[in-house]
Amino acid sequence: MPGQQNKNVWDMAYGLLLTIALLITASAVGYLFRAAGIPETNIVIVYLLAVLLTARITRGYVFGLFASVIATGAFNYLFTEPYFAFRVNAPSYIITFVIMTITALITSALTSHAKQNALEAREKEAETKALYTLTDRLTDAADLHDIAGIAASTISDVFCCRAACLYFDENGVPEQTYIQQASPGKLVRRKLSNPEKIKRWIEELSTGYHIGTDFYDWPIHGREMILGLIRLPKESAALMSEAQTRLLHSMIESIALAMDRLRSIQQGIKSNEEAVQERYRGNLLRAISHDLRTPLSGIMGTAEMLMDMTQREDPRYALAEGIHKEADWLHSLVENILNLTRLQGGKLTLNKQMEAVEEVVGGAVSHMAKRSPKHEITVNTPGELLLVPMDARLIEQVLINLLDNAIRHTPPQNEISVSVIEDKKKGCAVFSVKDRGEGIAAADLPHIFQMFYVSPLKHTDARYGIGLGLAICDAIIKAHGGGIEAHNRTDGPGAEFIFTLPMEMNNHEQLS
Amino acid sequence: MSNYHEYVLVVEDDVQIRNFICYSLRAEGFRCVTADTGEGALSLLVSEPIDLMLLDLGLPDVDGMEVIRKVREWSEMPIIVVSARDQDKEKAAALDEGADDYLTKPFSATELLARIRVALRHFYRQNGSKTPTSYQVGGLRLDLAKRLVFLDDVQLHVTPMEYKLLVLFFKNTGKVLTTKYILKEIWGAGYGSDTQVLRALMAGLRRKIEKNPAKPRYIMTEIGVGYRLVDE
Repeated sequence: MPGQQNKNVWDMAYGLLLTIALLITASAVGYLFRAAGIPETNIVIVYLLAVLLTARITRGYVFGLFASVIATGAFNYLFTEPYFAFRVNAPSYIITFVIMTITALITSALTSHAKQNALEAREKEAETKALYTLTDRLTDAADLHDIAGIAASTISDVFCCRAACLYFDENGVPEQTYIQQASPGKLVRRKLSNPEKIKRWIEELSTGYHIGTDFYDWPIHGREMILGLIRLPKESAALMSEAQTRLLHSMIESIALAMDRLRSIQQGIKSNEEAVQERYRGNLLRAISHDLRTPLSGIMGTAEMLMDMTQREDPRYALAEGIHKEADWLHSLVENILNLTRLQGGKLTLNKQMEAVEEVVGGAVSHMAKRSPKHEITVNTPGELLLVPMDARLIEQVLINLLDNAIRHTPPQNEISVSVIEDKKKGCAVFSVKDRGEGIAAADLPHIFQMFYVSPLKHTDARYGIGLGLAICDAIIKAHGGGIEAHNRTDGPGAEFIFTLPMEMNNHEQLS
Repeated sequence: MSNYHEYVLVVEDDVQIRNFICYSLRAEGFRCVTADTGEGALSLLVSEPIDLMLLDLGLPDVDGMEVIRKVREWSEMPIIVVSARDQDKEKAAALDEGADDYLTKPFSATELLARIRVALRHFYRQNGSKTPTSYQVGGLRLDLAKRLVFLDDVQLHVTPMEYKLLVLFFKNTGKVLTTKYILKEIWGAGYGSDTQVLRALMAGLRRKIEKNPAKPRYIMTEIGVGYRLVDE
């Protein structure tokens, strides 16, 4: 740091010259006093004044102490007999010298101390003022960009240089440009060649700041991560005193606080918005479910009522039955769409609990038995109680969809079966739904779990659903961390759907 | 075929469903009165001699749960709640609040009447003066005096816990019992909500009384809500 050294040399030279000048002046006044016949005690006082002035004007303690010793020496040399020699004839002068030296030393020490205190107080005041200005301005900032601008301009003003600020966004990605004060009151955006690299430097920093080729970079540490950096030109940064560095750190601290505050506000707003959206979504779903399902229940009930009122032979019975069937189909479609919307929102929270496999299978089978009493469903579950973590209602829905599929493709007298085994090696429960229907066409197999996939091989007027049932199964099983697959049976006609559920809860999942 | 004469209050805001329910009820001989709001229902309940209430949980003015709570303050009348399919939590809560049974929309008239029959029978049995000495459903018989259980006239060996559970089910034949209610009745109020012990107990009992525990004949699982002993 050659600049710093130069400055010190100049300071030394200035102090020395001043000390000598003051002592010479004091000696001159002494001669005048002696010529005028004023007692020499007054000359001692004049020397003490010179020492006091030296301590007052020069920096540090050194010159004051130096002046104290020289003053005593000069008094001895110039004003006590024998003149122009460091000796005294009258031994009483020794006392004068000792007291004079001590007084001069104390005076200079006290003066320097007072001066130092005043200086420190002034620095503190400037520091406080700078910090106050900064925080005052930061409270008005509306976004990170504002904060960066305020930081750059305030630091520039305080340290009289062209400071800059680079901030990272919420994900910790640095902005492509940084903000610098080009001249007082004028901020410019400067392009960064590789902000990622700078970020890496800053993150790997072991010291308080990073020294670049032209700049010093100070990281802005937030509560959780580095929020950005403050950049000062090398020439200004190198000359900073300890107090200034301290001030800079305090300022960076304030900036970090402001950035953190802004971020938490923004996060609050964001989560608030999300909550509002979620509420709208919920309301919409509820509205759909109420406004579509309720009239459908009404239509189905009324059709049932009409069927009840007519004889089976009456052609009107078939009409009412048709209404009932169509409404039932529409109803299951609405259910499926609602289920899928919930699943696809990604917001589906699985209500996972340890459930008995036999109960869930039993629930699904009895549901289907009510709906299609003509089909017989065989059930095979492990002899031992098998508890598997799952959202029972959703897995029941999967089984219902698969059984519904099987029933639609299988003549009533043919076999439909559900079985569950525990695969201890893979740590999962394997569910299988088999039928003896026409099986799955090879062209359909790869697409069968796709949403809205309807086999092109089927007649368009045949009601085979609109391809949601299996897509829902797929989504539910995947949400459970399991897998689902479909293939044709090798032991004769028919299809088999197999899905697995892991036996272990994931670490981050909690029993609710 | 007018078998019944009870006075039923139907609380439902959809006019079509209301009509269909009332038609089905009247065809069976029930007398029927309707309300489309919770407030209307409460004022009818105090002015009319209602025997049973069918309550839709999604009412426009007040929470159905609130209606159940108010009615239960002064009446033990059977309450059957009607709800949408994805309201398991509401169903269970309504049952815990004091409702007797629930129906999921869309339901058929047959289902509705079956539930009403069960609820009424249960209500009369509870308020009847004489306590039965034995219960029977299908081939399953419970002899309360001797504390024995028979399946197709063969005595079954059940543990005291299983016996306690069977008694609870038989006393509430046809009624859904929520998991929470069963836990409280069998293990006491302080036991918490450890449903796994109940699942294990149920699995053990089913292996004794059912031919295939996954295709139960007697005790049915109502997923997300609880269990029900079938009623014939």
